[in-house]
Amino acid sequence: MSPTKSPEPDPQRFEVSKGTLLLDRAMTHLIRVGGLAVILAVFGIFFFILKEIIPLFSKAEVEVEALMEAPGPENSNSNSLALGVDEWGEKPFLYQGGSAITIVDVETGAREILPVPMLEGVEVTAVSSDPVKRRIAVGTADGRVGSFVVTYGAEFDEEGRRTVVPSVEEEPWFEVEEGAGPVRELAYGEGGSRRIVVVARDLGTSLIELRQKRGLIGGEKLTRAGETAVGDQLGSDVSSVVASNNGKEALIATQSGAVYYFLIDGGEAVLKQTFKPFDGDPPVQMDYLFGGVSVAMTDASGDQKIFSLFRPEGSVDRLFGQIKEFAPVGAGLPIFAPSLRNKSFLTGAGGRLSLRHLTSGETRWEGEASFEPVAAAIDGKTEHFFIAGAEGQIQRYTFDDPHPESGWTAFFGKVWYEGGSEPVYQWQSTGGSDDFEPKLSLVPLIIGSLKGTFYALLFSVPVALLAAVFSASFLPHDMKKVVKPAMEIMASLPSVVLGFLAGIWLAPIIEDKIPSILLVCLSLPVAALLMGVIWCRQPMQVRRWLEGGREWMVMVPVVLGVSWAAWSLGPLLERLAFVYEDPATGRAIADFRLWWPQATGLSYDQRNCVVVGFMMGFAVIPVIFTISEDALSNVPKTLTAASSALGASRWQVVRSIIIPVASPGIFSALMIGFGRAVGETMIMVMATGNTPVTEWNIMNGMRTLAANIAVELPEAAPGSTHYRTLFLGALVLFVLTFTLNSVAEILRQRLREKNKLV
Amino acid sequence: MAKPPKAFATTGRSRKGEPLVWLTALGLTLGVLMTLWLLGLVVYKGCQTFWPDRLQVFEVKTDSGTEKVAGYEVLDRDRRDGDGNLHHEVQLFRGNVELYGEKFVFLDSSSIVSREQADDLLLVERLAGGNVIGRAKAIELADGSRMGPEDPSFEDELEALIEVNEDRRDELRDVEKFQIGKNSKRIKELELKKRLIADGKVGGSIPEIDAELEKLQAEYEELFAEKVKIEELMKARHLYIEAVDGREIVISGESLLHVLRPNEVGFFGRLGEMLRRIWNFLTMDPREANTEGGVYPAIFGTVIMTIVMSLFVTPFGVIAAIYLREYAKQGPFVRAVRISVNNLAGVPSIVFGVFGLAFFIYFVGGVVDGVFFPNAEEPVYKSGGILWASLTLALLTVPVVIVATEEALAAVPRGVREAALACGASKWQAIQRVVLPASLPGILTGVILAMARGAGEVAPLMLVGVVKSAPDLPIDVTAPFIHPERQFMHLGFHIYDLGFQSPDSEAAKPMVFATTLLLITIVVVMNLAAIIIRNRLRKKYATSSF
Repeated sequence: MSPTKSPEPDPQRFEVSKGTLLLDRAMTHLIRVGGLAVILAVFGIFFFILKEIIPLFSKAEVEVEALMEAPGPENSNSNSLALGVDEWGEKPFLYQGGSAITIVDVETGAREILPVPMLEGVEVTAVSSDPVKRRIAVGTADGRVGSFVVTYGAEFDEEGRRTVVPSVEEEPWFEVEEGAGPVRELAYGEGGSRRIVVVARDLGTSLIELRQKRGLIGGEKLTRAGETAVGDQLGSDVSSVVASNNGKEALIATQSGAVYYFLIDGGEAVLKQTFKPFDGDPPVQMDYLFGGVSVAMTDASGDQKIFSLFRPEGSVDRLFGQIKEFAPVGAGLPIFAPSLRNKSFLTGAGGRLSLRHLTSGETRWEGEASFEPVAAAIDGKTEHFFIAGAEGQIQRYTFDDPHPESGWTAFFGKVWYEGGSEPVYQWQSTGGSDDFEPKLSLVPLIIGSLKGTFYALLFSVPVALLAAVFSASFLPHDMKKVVKPAMEIMASLPSVVLGFLAGIWLAPIIEDKIPSILLVCLSLPVAALLMGVIWCRQPMQVRRWLEGGREWMVMVPVVLGVSWAAWSLGPLLERLAFVYEDPATGRAIADFRLWWPQATGLSYDQRNCVVVGFMMGFAVIPVIFTISEDALSNVPKTLTAASSALGASRWQVVRSIIIPVASPGIFSALMIGFGRAVGETMIMVMATGNTPVTEWNIMNGMRTLAANIAVELPEAAPGSTHYRTLFLGALVLFVLTFTLNSVAEILRQRLREKNKLV
Repeated sequence: MAKPPKAFATTGRSRKGEPLVWLTALGLTLGVLMTLWLLGLVVYKGCQTFWPDRLQVFEVKTDSGTEKVAGYEVLDRDRRDGDGNLHHEVQLFRGNVELYGEKFVFLDSSSIVSREQADDLLLVERLAGGNVIGRAKAIELADGSRMGPEDPSFEDELEALIEVNEDRRDELRDVEKFQIGKNSKRIKELELKKRLIADGKVGGSIPEIDAELEKLQAEYEELFAEKVKIEELMKARHLYIEAVDGREIVISGESLLHVLRPNEVGFFGRLGEMLRRIWNFLTMDPREANTEGGVYPAIFGTVIMTIVMSLFVTPFGVIAAIYLREYAKQGPFVRAVRISVNNLAGVPSIVFGVFGLAFFIYFVGGVVDGVFFPNAEEPVYKSGGILWASLTLALLTVPVVIVATEEALAAVPRGVREAALACGASKWQAIQRVVLPASLPGILTGVILAMARGAGEVAPLMLVGVVKSAPDLPIDVTAPFIHPERQFMHLGFHIYDLGFQSPDSEAAKPMVFATTLLLITIVVVMNLAAIIIRNRLRKKYATSSF
């Protein structure tokens, strides 16, 4: 017998090969991991952008460093103490009223005494220091005024290590002619070749003007150009003085609490303004902030206010006005040090320290000093600040405050900027000079985005919804197959093309055709309704000629004809309704562009919301159309059929059944359309003129959040406040559109389920 | 006979609300007309830039008598001045920048005395300075003598001159771009190496490098001499053109590109010229601050970026969709994810650009540079480039692919899937052999839509590496051939840049319209393809459902 096949079934017959199983398991894991990773990556966008923004809302970080001692020379007195520091914060100097300055090396604690020869044997009664130029001005008991400048040079050795080398630069002395007695208060302001010195003596106060002239052989010579006695104009004794670094302005505060603002104009000191910052309390501290436009003042009780020069309404002169009020710094002798980079400043009194910023009006940091400081300074790089005590203690602090000007108020609130006459919402991120105060309010941009969106929707919503209703309810199926792709093509048009056509081609063409456009917009709906009225008056034989749902084709020639007629009649309307009268000559000119500003007081720009609204239509109409058409056509046939059977006309079916049932879908279409319009970038960049405005005028442009990012982000330094603020704008856009779309999507899903049940 | 009641006379055609139906019809008409109008406008304006117009000689009144100017009409319009008076104006392209300064001029109709077509007018295309319009005066021969247009061999000489210069230009480009470029790249590398050796960072001998540098320097001088020689040869011969007002324009052989007599050629001649211009537009590098020449680098950049983008977006989008549809447990979480992914498609593109700049360029690019190029003088990957742009757009378009793929997967009938499983296929086998092939057209639609969106998107690119003029293409013949860190040109950005940043916006207009036509064509064709594939797909499933 030949061996027979075993009747037993192979136990492995139904087993799947190992390779297949392995592959299946591998693919399962791969797809799980890959899918989750993609989804995570997509959501990572939100968190990454958020991460970039968080530093904007964090406060300053301050670290206390070693305490140094710099006991003054024997003839020093502690009321006339001045502190200064080099750019890198390595070697602060202290002047304590003697004939030398003490320089301390922060690293080693080594002291270096630099003599100031001209102070030998002089009794110093008043000292003022200028943190910008590191100039110490001194006034003496016999009524003389002198000054010296501490300069720091940097020397590099072979390995590139930096050594800071301090030196003292002397400047000439001047006799004060006016008044008598020792100099009590002193201020020295240098603005290049013009300088101003304010000197208050026991009897008499004067402003000395100095001029620097180029000598014949080179070298520069400082001469006194004039001296004006102002004591008579002051009501009482002087409590504090300050002079600006343009060499023109001087502020003198008196015991009565009044501050006198003098302006040197053409060699003469003119009293421009008198004001009482603290209702009778004299300011005990007055100092200019970086930029020389604003003055910080503090009174004895610690109240602190910022006054800034601006032109009040109806005034020719720039006068001081209060723009900010800070929380009290505490009682005691206030100290003050401005940053040399931005509008931050260090202030405090009685041992309390506070780091503040002008623009945001915020206190960035607060702390207690281990001794009561009498002077303070911030280094040029804004990395360290120093305080000095009456006994010659110097303490260095390291601080890190990369975004002092940011904060909720700065981004979303009305801010009273330096030099402005009122608090405003303003976006102006970069300026011409170093001391420019960035204006980072997002409000004008958000308003710009909403404005552009509003005018875009004003045009697209009616067109898209009407088209959707017609297409869903009346259009025969075979035509839908052509019309819907046409709308999809419309959605795919690159927005850069639309923007280019809007800005370069359309805007100049319709610049003077606004009346024509107005007429077209008005006449088209009227013509359509009229066509409907005429058509349904026709006998059945005529009407049967046109199958239902082909009305839109009849409308094509009507639209073209009516548009053409209205377009040509535009100039006529202009002559009838939009006549501008030249106030100078009395001539009447029929020009809408001139009429609009005269009639409404608003400006007229070539790139205006009419152009933007129309071109945005190409981007928004297909979105709204597609989604609402979907919702409208998904209304269950049972409902519409029932309504028709009950004798409703086709319009009645639409009005009373289709539209109400689909209304959540239509609403979500509007929201998605809104999201599309808010985020549209290229059309907005190219067709709006990009001026940040906060008005809703249809005849000018705007600057939107998205356009602002596209224009400014390539130029912004990574990590800067400007850069992060643009990220904040992006986050606002992201959150806004994402929320809108989510709500819309949920609405649509609900609607879909509801219609399924019916 | 009894009349039927009136209400039944219009059965099914009640008149109630009929005017409102017509109003809704207006909406659809407007939508369709707007699309057609825009496409028509772009096609018309785009073609107009390629079509050679007849040249006319205008006699224009001036303060001191009359003046002749030749050119072709670009625009004719009514302008209102400040007093509200209308002026009819004609905009003329007159070229000849060295004589007039501006290529375009507006002529008030009232000042035009006469206009005529003169047959012998020439339109000369140049490499630099724009077109020249005038009559042929003479051509300089190789021996330095001049030949007038009355000579029967004038035409042949002219053609020969153009041709020989074309060859020389190729030769010059080879020397300049490849040989000198290679040489200077090597010199730069060696100098960096030398510095590194000096700093003690890598080993090597400085004298050896010095010797090679010297050799390279000598080679450079040789190449430079060759370049100068070719240039001199080209500059040696000239074409003399007389403008209609009698002034002479000398065109160096180096600059001469093409000569056309637009008033003498017939319809087919003009058609040929149009095709030649289109070909040049598609294949040449831009000249004159992008306002002339072609857009080849922009086409190249757009295509490469789109392809790289789709290489990223397709696998990841498909995997994510398969996960969501086939593997993830359906529940509120997956539903929330699905809604969110859907909504990401509605997030403004600029937001993705912002993310790309911060994440890819500053973060990832910074890390790559720190690890691989610690010695580079300028950032390599920490600046905008085609790789980062592609990745950013991939992120932007991945929701499109996910949504389309999910839809396609959902459309595969349940029965097919179950049949596969019942036959003993593993889950992956069922997906791989049955589900994926069936949903392929749907996936393809999604990818094409994503590509179309990516090709037309500009705003995010402005942040992640697109530039107005890139000296080198991202793929070329210098090693390592593919340069994903290079900045690139893009058709969409080209439109933005030409329309808004160009110093001479009037001269840029024809180029912008031509580029617009090209971009719209690409995008519309892609979209149509996607629509057609999708419709086919629907039909297929419509027939297979039972």
